[in-house]
Amino acid sequence: MFEPEGRFYLRVDWTLLILLVSIMGLGLLNLHSASSNLNASMFTQQVYWIFLGVSTFLITATIDYRVYNRVAYFIYILGILSLLMVLIIGKVTNGSRRWLNIGPIGIQPSELMKIAVILALAHHIDASPPKTDEGRTLQELIPPAALVGFPFLLILIQPDLGTGLILLLIFFSIMFLLKLRIRSLVTLMSSIIVLAPLIWTFVLQSYQKKRILVFLDPSTDPTGEGWHIRQSIFAIGSGKFFGKGYMRGTQSQYNFLPAQWSDFPFSVWSEEWGFLGSFVLLGLYTILILWAIRLALNTRDRFASVICIGVGAMFFWHTIINVGMVMGLLPIVGVTLPLFSHGGSSMLTFMIGAGLLMSVSARRQYY
Amino acid sequence: MSRLIVNDDSEFSRKYRYALIFVVSIFLILVGRLVQLQIVYGNQYRVLSKNNFLQKRTEEAPRGLILDANGKILARNRVAYNVFVIPQFFKKKAYDFLVNLLELSQTEIEYIKQKIMLAEGRKRTFSLLALRDIPKEWALILESNKDSLPGLEIVPQEKRFYPQSMLASHIIGFMGEISAEDKQNFPEMNYRDQDWRGKSGTEFQFESNLRGKRGYRWRVLDARGRAQHDKDAARWLPDPWKKDPVPGNNIYLTIDSDYQNIVEHAMSRYISGAAVMVEVKTGRILAYSSKPAFDPNELSGKLTPSRANELYSSPLHPMLDKVLQGTYFPGSTYKIIPAVAAMEEKLIDFEEFHLCKGWYEYGRNSSFACSHAHGLMNLETAIISSCNVFFFMLSERVGMDRMARYARLFGFGSPTGIHFNFEKSGFIPTKQWYAQKFQEGFRIGHTLNSAIGQGNVKVTVLQLAMAYAAIANHGTLYEPQLIERITTWDGNPVKDFKVKVKRKLGFKPETWDFLIKSLAGVVDDPSGTAYKARTPGLKVAGKTGTAQVRGMKKDGSDTRESKWRFQDHAWFAGFAPYDDPEIVVVVLVEHGGFAAKAAVPLTMKIFEGYFNSKAIKKGRNK
Repeated sequence: MFEPEGRFYLRVDWTLLILLVSIMGLGLLNLHSASSNLNASMFTQQVYWIFLGVSTFLITATIDYRVYNRVAYFIYILGILSLLMVLIIGKVTNGSRRWLNIGPIGIQPSELMKIAVILALAHHIDASPPKTDEGRTLQELIPPAALVGFPFLLILIQPDLGTGLILLLIFFSIMFLLKLRIRSLVTLMSSIIVLAPLIWTFVLQSYQKKRILVFLDPSTDPTGEGWHIRQSIFAIGSGKFFGKGYMRGTQSQYNFLPAQWSDFPFSVWSEEWGFLGSFVLLGLYTILILWAIRLALNTRDRFASVICIGVGAMFFWHTIINVGMVMGLLPIVGVTLPLFSHGGSSMLTFMIGAGLLMSVSARRQYY
Repeated sequence: MSRLIVNDDSEFSRKYRYALIFVVSIFLILVGRLVQLQIVYGNQYRVLSKNNFLQKRTEEAPRGLILDANGKILARNRVAYNVFVIPQFFKKKAYDFLVNLLELSQTEIEYIKQKIMLAEGRKRTFSLLALRDIPKEWALILESNKDSLPGLEIVPQEKRFYPQSMLASHIIGFMGEISAEDKQNFPEMNYRDQDWRGKSGTEFQFESNLRGKRGYRWRVLDARGRAQHDKDAARWLPDPWKKDPVPGNNIYLTIDSDYQNIVEHAMSRYISGAAVMVEVKTGRILAYSSKPAFDPNELSGKLTPSRANELYSSPLHPMLDKVLQGTYFPGSTYKIIPAVAAMEEKLIDFEEFHLCKGWYEYGRNSSFACSHAHGLMNLETAIISSCNVFFFMLSERVGMDRMARYARLFGFGSPTGIHFNFEKSGFIPTKQWYAQKFQEGFRIGHTLNSAIGQGNVKVTVLQLAMAYAAIANHGTLYEPQLIERITTWDGNPVKDFKVKVKRKLGFKPETWDFLIKSLAGVVDDPSGTAYKARTPGLKVAGKTGTAQVRGMKKDGSDTRESKWRFQDHAWFAGFAPYDDPEIVVVVLVEHGGFAAKAAVPLTMKIFEGYFNSKAIKKGRNK
């Protein structure tokens, strides 16, 4: 293995492992309930995905993370190419072009692009430390912004607002934790405020605007989007403290929840396991994210730190947006719940991310 | 485990606390939201989620049956396929389905659309009636396309059906959708919008008995409106999860379909009129017919406005119950009244003869005509050959008010007490009434007119039948009885109706004997008005009547219709056998012309039919 500064203690991060296995296990359990009434093959499918995900995780974790530093841009370019391919030969479903079919399996390159962007950002930041003690200037932020901006635009064209949004949030999370000049920070903030209405007018599709409006007032659309939010809230609320019992959620079993296996698994969980189960699940995610932040601090290597922050941010924003959405706190955006939702691309992306964390954690320095 | 040591060199070291705080506080916000949804408002959301899938479906109670005295069914229920929509689950594209599959008309589609649009809030989860009584083929088509029509249900429900069609339609009545007033006027009936209730006849009069008590049944429905029946679904059902509907009570009429058929068959030659057959010794009505009749199936079904208008505005008045609601001049059938009055008041001797020259003179230069010159007449022959002149003379002796008093004793001028179809009282005029009504006041002519059942005397067919029954049974005036008994749907007695005597007419036995003898003579004596149409062997006693149609003067037109319209009404009121009377039959043929030609043969047929049928019944019972 490539070890420039002496030997690491190579050891398994059991905390990380237990967290990952717990979330995945609960996710599988939940999927069994959510899919039992409609499509039992989803469960088998997910088992395959998990098997594939675990393999990828093991491979990713075994390789020394510094190897990724070298191939970061290569992976990034591969990602960009696949995004371009989606736009040319991608499969159109529900009005957007997101899928690439490789043999029998379909994959969403936009999901995996998150990892590529994290790697590319980490590589760039690692290679260019702040020029002054005051922190990074706005000018220094242009190259990383470009690294995110290009794939962001490609994803918006698909269009896949959710993934694009996550990409931006990962970028801002990393930038926030960097040493920035106060002036740069202020300029960044105010530009976002100025950009928001422009995005509303020029970027957002009408159905996306409608979603946001419905979110602000669900009664404007009692059968469509508003109906989804209401049914999800009914599901969560009706779970009460102890839940309705496994496989006994009426909202899920009687199909009142839309796309419950991919977008609304938390509602299913919450209905059947109640406040108790929901608290535990949210707790697992929070500990996982805090653990990623802690890892970011415990590595001397700036590349490793950015990886941990990036992957942590990815977990964080996915969880917040998905859970916030199903609880009616945020508008409906198609964002999956990490390791919990049904779906191969999402599973693969988070398992690679987790693999990166494990790779870093297994090779951190102890003092 | 390693200690958390912050590396000073790390670019992130200074801000990691903020990140930590941020992540934890977002976590707390989400937990807070969970607390709000699951703990604070958990109970409310539990109810809301239950409302999602729990549906209370009303189960309508089967309506009670209407049966004849022999237990033959006159009104029952059949299966009708009704289409319900649950707005919550209904998809817009289903309209195209309905249009293509069933070729529904635009109005029907609009009706369904309205229903769905108007349903708001909780009502969106209800089953709303969209199409009533669709053909079976439609039901099959819808049922086989069920999966592509979420929120649409075909529910087999009961609908009123009258297997005998037009038979006894005015007694049975018909059904109709309730009006807003019905709902207000009968709160105890718990009507709901679009419920049906009896609108006339027995269906109307015994609504509260016939109508059952509705039940309910809770169901678990999934998001596409499909019912769930497994054990897991069952645990959400409230307790009790169902209440079985209680079917309405059965009504047994005194009507005997066999006799009813005989009467209606006999009546079938004439388009307009009425007939009633009553048991002499009980007052029970055995047959009851009003023509033209209607088909209660048609009236209780999908009656188009134009057809309804046709029925209600027809000059033949098919919707009118001519036995109870029509009032007519009784004509010569009324002559029994001055006869009885004169006998009871001892104003006439049986052997007193008067000469009929064909007209009767009274006062100054006034004369009333008779059918022809009858020659010498006593009371008996005057009844037999229906001599007006004799009765003009007699009525002058009896006087208007005494005649009215006897008429009232026989039940004329007041309701018979049947409490059915809003019966009319008819009218018996008095001197005082004429004094008040007419500027010139009362005149002798009024008395003369009354004596022969003209002028202002108005009776109903049933009143006449009850009066003749009282003659036949020597003076007992019964309240007519149409309902024999009421039972619960499974046969337990609810109410048995008893024979009710309205009044005993304490006249001299000779009066009755004389009357019956004279009335027998009307049929049996060669000079009797009914002699030519008699059926030999039948011991029928009775009186013919030909009532002039008042106020209808020829308007010059000479069409068949107008000729018919201005013909007199033909009556026959009689009973048989006269030595031991069983039944009384009264027949009115509207615009039938001369009684002997229209009403008498018809009545004879009825008596004939009755005795034949009775003989067969006796043989069957042996």
